[in-house]
Amino acid sequence: MKAAKITGAAVAVAALVALAGCSTSGSNAPTSGTLSGTVTFWHAYSADSPEVQTLEKTIIPAFEKLHPKVTVKDVAIPYDDLHQKLITAVAGDQLPDLVRSDIIWVPELANLGVLQPLDTTLSDFKTLADQTYPGSLATNKWKGHYYGLPLDTNTRVLMYNQAVLDKAGISTPPATMDELLADGPKLKAVGAYAYADSGASGWNVLPFIWSGGGDITNANVTKASGYMNSAKTEKVVQTLVDMYKSGYLPSLILGDTGGLSTSDGLANGTYATILDGPWMYPIFASQYPDFKLQDSAVPSGAKGSVSVVGGEDVVMTKSSKNKPAAEAFMKYLLSSDAQLAMAKVGQMPVLKGLGSKLTAINSYYSQFATQLETAKPRPATPAWTQIDTILQDDIRAAIKGDKTVKQAMDDAATQSDALLAKYSK
Amino acid sequence: MSTQTIPSAVTPTLVARRRRGSNLPAGTRLRSMIAPYLFIFPGFVLYGLIMLYPTVQTVLLSFRDWQIAPGADSPWIGFDNYARAFADPVFLNSLVNAVVYTGVTVPLQIIIGLFLAVLLNSKLPGRVVFRVLFYLPVVTSWVVVSLLFRYIFSSDGGVANWFGHDVLHILTGDVAWFQGRWTALVAICALGVWKGVGWAMLIFLAALTGVPTELHEAAAIDGAGAFKRFWYVSLPMIRSSMAVVVILLIIGGFNVFISVLLMTGGGPGEETQVPLTYMYQQAFKFLDFGYGSSISFILTAIVLVISALQYWWTRRLARKAEN
Repeated sequence: MKAAKITGAAVAVAALVALAGCSTSGSNAPTSGTLSGTVTFWHAYSADSPEVQTLEKTIIPAFEKLHPKVTVKDVAIPYDDLHQKLITAVAGDQLPDLVRSDIIWVPELANLGVLQPLDTTLSDFKTLADQTYPGSLATNKWKGHYYGLPLDTNTRVLMYNQAVLDKAGISTPPATMDELLADGPKLKAVGAYAYADSGASGWNVLPFIWSGGGDITNANVTKASGYMNSAKTEKVVQTLVDMYKSGYLPSLILGDTGGLSTSDGLANGTYATILDGPWMYPIFASQYPDFKLQDSAVPSGAKGSVSVVGGEDVVMTKSSKNKPAAEAFMKYLLSSDAQLAMAKVGQMPVLKGLGSKLTAINSYYSQFATQLETAKPRPATPAWTQIDTILQDDIRAAIKGDKTVKQAMDDAATQSDALLAKYSK
Repeated sequence: MSTQTIPSAVTPTLVARRRRGSNLPAGTRLRSMIAPYLFIFPGFVLYGLIMLYPTVQTVLLSFRDWQIAPGADSPWIGFDNYARAFADPVFLNSLVNAVVYTGVTVPLQIIIGLFLAVLLNSKLPGRVVFRVLFYLPVVTSWVVVSLLFRYIFSSDGGVANWFGHDVLHILTGDVAWFQGRWTALVAICALGVWKGVGWAMLIFLAALTGVPTELHEAAAIDGAGAFKRFWYVSLPMIRSSMAVVVILLIIGGFNVFISVLLMTGGGPGEETQVPLTYMYQQAFKFLDFGYGSSISFILTAIVLVISALQYWWTRRLARKAEN
């Protein structure tokens, strides 16, 4: 047992040295064949698109070639089930070695104490971290430590249907919030909505709130009062309310699960603009081959054009029985080979250095890369899923007219304060 | 019921007689005493493991501010979770929704189920085909039919809107069913009734085939019409099945979950939450398993009380009828 531990440690050191060397040189060939064992990796790569296939047919075989004695067992779990599956695994102490986690779950899992702090575990953490986008990296931070590394990233940009805009006599997509509002009546006259979204959660409304100069918490994520109900945030929410009441925004935003989806509506000309992520391009291409999808930046407000960061991080569990091999696979996932392979199937890489290679793969990445420069992550707190529900429910109440904007945002701020206080001790 | 009591009344005397007659050795007597327990032992172990143990654990959970991470301290907070539930407007709202769902779907399932059972109990050509057709929704997956009903009731091009507007002309325009609490509940209830009717029908059908045809013939000779024969002959004979159906449907009604989760997810704005979807949200989305457990126990208590009242009431009716 002791001997095994020592060998394990030696292997880890060897792997670290090898990998540290490669990450700076940019090559992806750490040829340390001494690692062995199985690495279990849970992820929610889409089985409908070629993502799972790329992982299983390209990335894992390439890694196993570098480490012939290591077997990577990947388990694809549908995104909607992954959170619950993780929670059940936490309670049952059955977590895998590595998880591809949605960026918003990392603080929650870290707070549960089941993740390995990578900044103290990986000797070359800083080198690895510095290669990635800061906005993505920040999603891994919880109480002073980094519990994961960014794996893929995305953000929302404005997607529009120029044919509908043309019909309403509008030549360019709305570059500012004021232009979007001004387009409203013109588009209504031709039977289209100026903008559509499928909910009022942070993912949906934060681009508008941030662009308008508002916020929902302070920088330390300890307080929502004064941010969520600040004059600037309320002004943005009021704009959404006005747009809904004027008929520029469909009821989809109220959580009408039976409504025309944003993508179908954009393609068939019912919605002139939506905000969405890079994964929509392959979907539009296969479902609406005749529709010409175009994109531009999120309509800017007083603070410019600020979108919301999405994506996934890769985290290592404390309970992992094979940390050295898990670490090697984690680093391989961050190698330019693996990142570019995933980029081909719609997952945006997190490596800053890939810029031009990226647009060569898919030209639409350029708009997202630009938007990511200013995009912000949602507040890193274990309470986020709850705060997100509160925010969504209260903004909906305001749009529906059940509460005034002030009432709604005051309520949301008070409830969020209580939740944030629980974790700021 | 009475036919079942006969063997159990006979067996002890038989055993006693045999015992007296043959003077069995002590070991055999012991064995015959233990034997029944041995037979129920596997079942009881299974019950204990998969029902009793988790139930007791959940009760204990509901009194704690339970922390999910293994080894984390979960402080005992007494009835705080229960007090919180009764002050939580969303939870109280979810109870109202469950009552509405039960109140709408249970009578409809019974009335339609009974009607179909009576129809299919008569000598109808192709009745086997109809029995299968009406029972088919019961065996289909909740997930599949929930998503199906979501499409039927979708505001854009849904069949429900087309039927209500273009065919029946009772709707003035396209209804956004899932946008409001009551319209969403209409869709959820419609699914509940459609999926449950076949089950009620099957139970009633089984009970109706047990009604002796002589009784019907005698009543017919006495001049009773079809409705009177049903009301005075069939209905009293299937009373015990009716009681079972009512109790099980009410329990099922309060436990409505998959359809709500998949059709509205409790939305818009928590308005269509039912106790189980809210419990699920609190436990598995917000990791508040203590609060989730207390919600499920309040629901259990409500269902227990209703079932007990209902059981007592049907027993009373039965006794009255016997007298």
